[in-house]
Amino acid sequence: MTTASHAAVTAEASNIDSSARCTLSFLIASALAWLLVSGLLAVLHLVQAYDASFLAHCPIFTYGRLGAMQETASIYGWAANAGLAVALWLLARLSGSPLRSLNWACGGALFWNLGVTLGLVGIALGEGTSTSFLHLPYFVQPLLLVAYAAIAVPGVLAWTGRKQSMTFASQWYAVAALFLFPWLLSAAQVMLHFAPVRGVLQAIVEGWYVQSVWYLWLFPLALAAAYYLVPKITGRAIPSYDFSALGFWTLIVIGDWTAGRHLVGGPVPAWLVSLAIVSCALLLVHFIIVALNLRGAFSSGGPVLKFVAFGLFSYLVGGLWDAVTCMRSVAVITQFTWIDQAQTQLALTGAFSAIVIGAIYFLFPRVTGQAWPSATLITAHLFTTVIGTLGLVLSLVVAGWIQGHDLANPAVSFADIAAHTSSWLHFALAAQALLLVGNALFALHFIRLACTKPAASGVSVFAQPPAMEASAS
Amino acid sequence: MRNGLLFFLGLFAALLITWAGIVLGSNAQLGHLAPYFDENEGKAYPENTPGIAARGLLVYDDLGCAACHTQQVRRPSYGSDKARGWGDRQSVARDYMRQSHVQLGESRIGPDLSNVGARKPAYDAEDLYKLLYTGQGGMPSYRFLFEDRKVIGEVSAKALNLVGSLAPAPGHEIVPTHRAEALVAYLLSLNNVYEYPEARPVEPAAAEKGEHK
Repeated sequence: MTTASHAAVTAEASNIDSSARCTLSFLIASALAWLLVSGLLAVLHLVQAYDASFLAHCPIFTYGRLGAMQETASIYGWAANAGLAVALWLLARLSGSPLRSLNWACGGALFWNLGVTLGLVGIALGEGTSTSFLHLPYFVQPLLLVAYAAIAVPGVLAWTGRKQSMTFASQWYAVAALFLFPWLLSAAQVMLHFAPVRGVLQAIVEGWYVQSVWYLWLFPLALAAAYYLVPKITGRAIPSYDFSALGFWTLIVIGDWTAGRHLVGGPVPAWLVSLAIVSCALLLVHFIIVALNLRGAFSSGGPVLKFVAFGLFSYLVGGLWDAVTCMRSVAVITQFTWIDQAQTQLALTGAFSAIVIGAIYFLFPRVTGQAWPSATLITAHLFTTVIGTLGLVLSLVVAGWIQGHDLANPAVSFADIAAHTSSWLHFALAAQALLLVGNALFALHFIRLACTKPAASGVSVFAQPPAMEASAS
Repeated sequence: MRNGLLFFLGLFAALLITWAGIVLGSNAQLGHLAPYFDENEGKAYPENTPGIAARGLLVYDDLGCAACHTQQVRRPSYGSDKARGWGDRQSVARDYMRQSHVQLGESRIGPDLSNVGARKPAYDAEDLYKLLYTGQGGMPSYRFLFEDRKVIGEVSAKALNLVGSLAPAPGHEIVPTHRAEALVAYLLSLNNVYEYPEARPVEPAAAEKGEHK
């Protein structure tokens, strides 16, 4: 580990954490509320997937709108709030001083959540844009951009005001995510909605934005947390740390070139798709380096480490899976099927959410100055997350595989395809419901901790960090 | 990485270069596309969408039809798109150049709709209204796009001809709303069958024989 994180060790349970209590609590509370909303919408959406008549009379819940609301709630609601909370906390810890200008973040978070709420209502009422990852109605998009910039202010100040000139891998990832997202969002808004480009260029820009959100925003946020938590909890320096910079730049420089990932066989220039296939393969370098650096996550440890380990496992499997399924000979079967959904779930519910949930379990007691009330609840949440995610992803993969082969056979009608995949979609629904139950437990646990008054001797809870991780509290 | 400024410049350069490569690169290739003027027919393709169909695209957008339907036909040798009757040739960039919002779609829970106005046997508006009203297979019914109203005077010419359990109550009729009319007009306007020079299907057999179309 570098000097930066050594300095942070001594700052354990200091005013660095407690000063940001209000802002971080608000961000995490909103994130959890959105996590539940998106879980509920995902359950309804999956019911509709096998029973088309469910809620069909209700215009605000068409299959398309429900899916758009679910995606928006999980990315702009859950992932944005939670990811930003974790990034701000990490940057404060690693800069060695309390966050400044927290009012900006507080106000920004308020408007961000207002914007996402308005956006969801707008989609339900038919104002959605039908653009992947940017279903939000036109009227809230500029608001989100401004709100995001305000939330990121303390993070940028923490970076520029850091006490050491030497920086740590966590900081690179967190700063990259904070800094790059507004560019992506504004570029996508302009090119898709306010001054739309012509013809299939729209689909290309959409592909570019979706891949950028993954590779330049969500994954860096999760990796920032993982690079901090793994050495911190295991108490060992990151092995082969020299490679981490290569891993970082591989992701940032190559990630975006996968823009044609979901356009295989489409009416777009063929080089775009070839480039995406090559980039997906090149990104394996990044995944190998992450695996090499963070292999400590897979050693024995408390629930926080287990969450991170499961997230990393999903991340690495997802990377490999992506490199295989984007090849033309595989995509001819897998494209346009549930397998695409399975990949999204593996990346969001598996990789991103598991790591970030682990980080919240780690940081929130430090911010509030007291331990989680129940270790059982944390273990229960861990089990529901692991089993729910694996169940969801595997059943969607099987459903997608059946769907893909049926689609390739022109004699099979769409009604038959629906009948063949129906039982697997039931499994997926059960897994999604399990995830929702686990996340509800998490939210209740969070409320219980947030509502208890800080113990007078809160600091003593953190006297022995490694022991504390083991008991999960 | 000690130099913060250099770090930021690196991040920015990485983003800018990929954006330029992907977006400007594609634009350099596709930006000059113009409608193709066929001298024999005296018309330029793709044709302009009539006003009501352009409004129908907005309905297609806001209901989220693209969640289940793609609008892109893959080339005959790649997938079963041709065999399913979705189109004899692959979709090309020129097909989309007049569409205000391109929805290629990512999921095929339902059939591809690129050429729904050119199906054999051809759909007429009545077929599509019934499909929307009743649903079929995995497709839900969209009854809120129709109005169930009392017949005053004569039965409307637009009323759906429904029989059996679907028939409206006596003295009532089911008529499509403006949104349904626009959506169906849009669907029937989807008709990309004109063979542009760049869109002639690549038949593997023809290539083997050394034929060049």
